[in-house]
Amino acid sequence: MKEVVLAVEQLTVYRETYAAVQDVSFELEAGTDTAIVGPNGAGKSTLVQAILGILPRQAGDVFILGQPLSRRGFLTPAIRQQIAYLPQNFLFDRRIPITVEELVGLGWDKLGFQVPWANRRKRRYAIREALARVDAAHLSHQLISGLSGGETKRVLLAYCLVHPRRLLLLDEAPAGLDVRGESEFYQLLYQLKREQGWAILQISHDLDMVRRNCDRVLCLNRTLLCQGIPEVALSPDNLSAAYGSEFVRYRHQH
Amino acid sequence: MSTELTRIIELFQLPFMQRALLGGILTGLMGGMLGSFTILRQLSFFSDALGHSALLGISIGLLIGINPSVVLLPFAVCFALGVTYLLERTRLWTDALLNIIYSSSLAIAIITLSFVGQYKGGLNNLLFGDILAVRELDLIFSAVLLLVCIVFIGLTLRTQMLLTLHEPLAIARGVSVFLHRTAFIVLLSLVVGISIKAIGVLLVSAFVVIPACAARLLSRTFTNYVVLSAGLGALSAVIGMVVSAAFNLPSGPSIVATQLTIFLTAMALPRLRVLGQG
Repeated sequence: MKEVVLAVEQLTVYRETYAAVQDVSFELEAGTDTAIVGPNGAGKSTLVQAILGILPRQAGDVFILGQPLSRRGFLTPAIRQQIAYLPQNFLFDRRIPITVEELVGLGWDKLGFQVPWANRRKRRYAIREALARVDAAHLSHQLISGLSGGETKRVLLAYCLVHPRRLLLLDEAPAGLDVRGESEFYQLLYQLKREQGWAILQISHDLDMVRRNCDRVLCLNRTLLCQGIPEVALSPDNLSAAYGSEFVRYRHQH
Repeated sequence: MSTELTRIIELFQLPFMQRALLGGILTGLMGGMLGSFTILRQLSFFSDALGHSALLGISIGLLIGINPSVVLLPFAVCFALGVTYLLERTRLWTDALLNIIYSSSLAIAIITLSFVGQYKGGLNNLLFGDILAVRELDLIFSAVLLLVCIVFIGLTLRTQMLLTLHEPLAIARGVSVFLHRTAFIVLLSLVVGISIKAIGVLLVSAFVVIPACAARLLSRTFTNYVVLSAGLGALSAVIGMVVSAAFNLPSGPSIVATQLTIFLTAMALPRLRVLGQG
């Protein structure tokens, strides 16, 4: 039996007054890739953010690497260090002067109290290796505000990569890229996944990509409608339950 | 010219001038360091409102007969935390709400001061500060606070960077936004509170905002930016004090004018370089 990296049990999350996610349970095994699919407003981002403790939950439990996420979103730093999160559209204030190297370095740090020059050599080496791995070594001294969409995504992958991790949570990670950029992003992501042994939980709208790459699929529309291997979870019946029958007719005609 | 120089040197041999200079440098360093984060987190107007409202703390102290210096720091911290709480709880715009808070506390402060007879003449000092009145105890307080700022920002630099850049990313890494925000606001209000005596309620936020903006224009990395911001804060204090001694100008405003000059130079620098190449 494989190790469970993430376990979600009967999770319910309220936004304002309604349940955006209700009674969701699933498990994610080490080294596997699970996609969350569902229409807009289905609670996909809410689910991911509640797992990370960014949003508070009203009921249920989340276990990451065996450790329960406390009600107030606390996990020990050692566990936190093994998770990485890429938000949908990495929006930041472009006036903030921060270089690629500095951003990737933030992925390496434990973020407790430490002197800024702690482990300077090891840190710098890890940053350089990570940037080289995503083919962005030449960008290291540039400000992140000057990067193109594709470059930003690669740098964010280096941010995940710079420290060994067990679990990646991606909220529509390639959003904003064109078709070619998207396919390059996934190529790199899956190479890294194989090398690093990452378990991935990702939100995706690209059902063909999900069919090709993912081990499991969760169909979400507030509640978990179905879960299983892509062939089953993405069958026309299940899709029409998640997205509505119109959508399935559309997909079959094209 | 040389007699003028001798006069300035002689002036800085006087203990009160030395205290003023040291006080200016300490305030410049603290303001610049915290200011670098303050402007990026869009709290500039918050520091301004905090400065203006401090007058209320002073006037209450005067009314009930407690030394304003003693009232000021606790008042600034409580006020800052109260305002932060209010800002998070209401659906109104931050700048509008801050405007209500600072103009009304300014109004109440002036009304309160009108009941304190002997202080009417001192209003000018409260508004624009009196850096020459800085005492040894003020300096010790400032030095300790500067040390606290350096240790706190130094040890949490990376956390502060990630929090400033992208809050959800920081939370995903286990950073407590609430604790860090509160700690930063408390430090900022202490720095504003401690600087008010020297620079006055109207100009105190310049120490937080202007050197940081100049540093932003001149920096290519985040770490340099924070260090440069503190450095420019101290530099403008030194130049401003010398200028004020040389031309017999009010000290606080001279320092702020120096900050402005540095900021304008930083703005013009890229254009000057282009002209030089052309």
